[in-house]
Amino acid sequence: MDVLYLLVPLSVVLVFFVLGALGWAIWRGQFEDVEREGQRIFEND
Amino acid sequence: MNQAESLAQPLSSVPMQAEGVLSLGPAPERPDGAAARPDDAAALLDERDEWLAFSQRAAGAESGHWASSVAFEGMHCAACAGTIEQALRAVPGVLEADVSAAGQRGRVVWDERRTRPSRWMAALQGTGYRALPAHDPQASELRQAETRRMLWRLGVAGLCMMQVMMYAAPSYFTAPGEITPDIMALLRWAQWVLSLPVLLFSCQPFLRGAWRDVRRRQVSMDLPVALGMGITFIVSSLGTFEPDGLFGHEVYFDSLTMFVFFLLGGRWLELRLRDRAAGALEVLMHRLPDSVERRGADGEWTRVVVRRVRVGDVLRVLPGESFPADGALTAGATTVDEALLTGESRPVPRAVGDTVIAGSHNLSEAVQMQVRQVGAQTRYAQVVALMQQAAVSKPPIAQLADRLAKPFLIFVLLAAGAACAWWWPQDPAHALMIAVAILVVTCPCALSLATPAAMLASAGALARRGILTRRLQAIEALAAVDTVVFDKTGTLTRDAFALRQLTLRPGVTREQALALAAALARHSLHPISRALVGAAQAADLRLPAAQGVRETAGQGVEGVVEVAGQVRRVRLGSAAFGGAATASDAGPVSHLVDEEGPIACFEFDEDLRSDAPAAVAALYAAGLKVQLLSGDHVQAAQRIAALAGIDEALGGCSPGDKLRHLQALQGSGARIAMVGDGLNDGPGLAAAQVSFAFGQAVPLAQAQADFVVLGGQLTAIAGAWRQAVHTLTIVKQNLAWALVYNAVGVPLAMLGWMPAWAAGLGMAASSLLVVLNALRLSGGRALEGV
Repeated sequence: MDVLYLLVPLSVVLVFFVLGALGWAIWRGQFEDVEREGQRIFEND
Repeated sequence: MNQAESLAQPLSSVPMQAEGVLSLGPAPERPDGAAARPDDAAALLDERDEWLAFSQRAAGAESGHWASSVAFEGMHCAACAGTIEQALRAVPGVLEADVSAAGQRGRVVWDERRTRPSRWMAALQGTGYRALPAHDPQASELRQAETRRMLWRLGVAGLCMMQVMMYAAPSYFTAPGEITPDIMALLRWAQWVLSLPVLLFSCQPFLRGAWRDVRRRQVSMDLPVALGMGITFIVSSLGTFEPDGLFGHEVYFDSLTMFVFFLLGGRWLELRLRDRAAGALEVLMHRLPDSVERRGADGEWTRVVVRRVRVGDVLRVLPGESFPADGALTAGATTVDEALLTGESRPVPRAVGDTVIAGSHNLSEAVQMQVRQVGAQTRYAQVVALMQQAAVSKPPIAQLADRLAKPFLIFVLLAAGAACAWWWPQDPAHALMIAVAILVVTCPCALSLATPAAMLASAGALARRGILTRRLQAIEALAAVDTVVFDKTGTLTRDAFALRQLTLRPGVTREQALALAAALARHSLHPISRALVGAAQAADLRLPAAQGVRETAGQGVEGVVEVAGQVRRVRLGSAAFGGAATASDAGPVSHLVDEEGPIACFEFDEDLRSDAPAAVAALYAAGLKVQLLSGDHVQAAQRIAALAGIDEALGGCSPGDKLRHLQALQGSGARIAMVGDGLNDGPGLAAAQVSFAFGQAVPLAQAQADFVVLGGQLTAIAGAWRQAVHTLTIVKQNLAWALVYNAVGVPLAMLGWMPAWAAGLGMAASSLLVVLNALRLSGGRALEGV
């Protein structure tokens, strides 16, 4: 069970990485205007 | 100030006009830095031209008073609205401040000589909120940043919650001693680490709100919630680092992260739903295009910012664009959608010479128009100003809820303290967690959101069908109405009259009589007066000047007119007013008399509106009483009443008679809705509990009524009544829900039967339920009579 001493802290670090990725996505505007991006494929340009 | 600037002013004073940013071609660079430093931006607003972009002259006040529309940042419940209003009113020179909790908008009336926008904005900043001029691009940028921050907070809380739950799960599923104390300690440590971002970042809005409350010695929703968060975190931290201490080794990080997540999730959804509830308002306010093609002196078409459009310009409006100003078509024919402005849902054909109104959509062909009115003078701007005013008025039920919120919160704090003291001897940690559950479970927000959310959604639904609500209170009053009283002329009957017959004094020509009558009539807005002026204009007559014109409302006009070298005192109006004998019973009659006796008698054809019988039948079917009151003679009133299917009709009433009749009805317990044209029935409309104005030709801002029906469909009244009844039902449901929820939740929490996470879920859900229930109204199904 000693591996838990490594895995638990590692999972905490992992959560911070995931949080970082989420923050990046939010502040890049990935969650805004979701429908508009879907419609873009119908446009000519 | 040069000519061009002074002309530009009225347009820029339309509050919802976005700053003139061209939407086509390369976007002009915004002078950066101005927006980045809020203080400079606020100082810029002190220039007259800048504040005109979001302010209008305050109606009915002396000059120098301005009414500004502002959006607020950092607001989330009704208690905040009260704080903001107080802070603003405390600023010298601010005369009025109305804040709408549901729309996060407000209206500030201030005196140009005593203050400036930057000053009251700065005063507000001291309280922790921020005021922004409504519909300036900055407002939308900040709104975007606020939405992102909110989502980011919610995301952090959500992810951390899930992971904390993972670490907490073993302690739920294992017997004591099954996991070694070392591993347990490690799991508690991991939970503590992941709770830190939740507490320090995600909880910030609650903590900051609570800090503001403490500093200002007041109570709002944030204080109990923040206390709950703080207590949970401290108890759990002690459990982590001092397992043998006073509070034992029990930790509650999973409860903490969970209720923070639920609260934030609730707020996030509430924010989005609230935006939707205010949707109809927003749609209407963004109706004007940013730019339009204008014909230059050289005949070339260039695209200009709408702000630069002047009266007399020739514009080309492409299909799919909105008309930027009121005017007349000069080339082309098209169909337009005027639904939001007149309630007419079908596309209307428009050909050369027809008028088009700002804010309506051009549907089919490119057309050219000549501008007649811009900016604040357009019907569109008047409609928007009315709606903004209505959105910030507070119905009495909502005021009651606001007053209750504060004592209620104080009660909650006391109850939490008492419960904690009661349970303390048994188990201090458990006692504190019970107190936390009480603090979190209570929800005065549901109480104070219950009414405004429903009224706003309803006003939006009414507006989409061409019924403007001037005061939200009126919806409440309308639901209680049992008698509908119609005025006749211009309401039950069509606005436009045709001159049918003219009886003349010997020696007077038709043209002379008509010119004389029109000279007086053009000083009045009564439908018959307008018909006389119209007839005179059609005959291309030159009207003599009239002096000392005085109008007796509902009776007639008198004045001194010089005709062919003779000065004569002339009266125009009803038989009683003119002192003439009644001649006809078929339609309205107007008498023109001077000192020597009658000069002429004008008889008009009067048409019933085609939807009048259906509208009256719908009102009878709804169980309402219907009456007709008219200033015209008895026979005319009875003829129209019979055509429309109204049982009771009273004719020959002066405005005073009408008022007395209404008061007598009210004395016998009737609650009355008065329907008139909004101008000529002033006293009657004011005396009735609720009033409707059918003001198609009347300037909207002058219409003194609670509801203004833009399209002129009489059936709208029965629809509005049904909608009001439905609205009140929803409000009662909301209030009942909020009361039951709190009445059940608080005792449960006090008994220790409600864990903190369930309390958080309950609170978020109850606010949401109230808003969702209110949104059922925005479809306006009751209006369609389904």
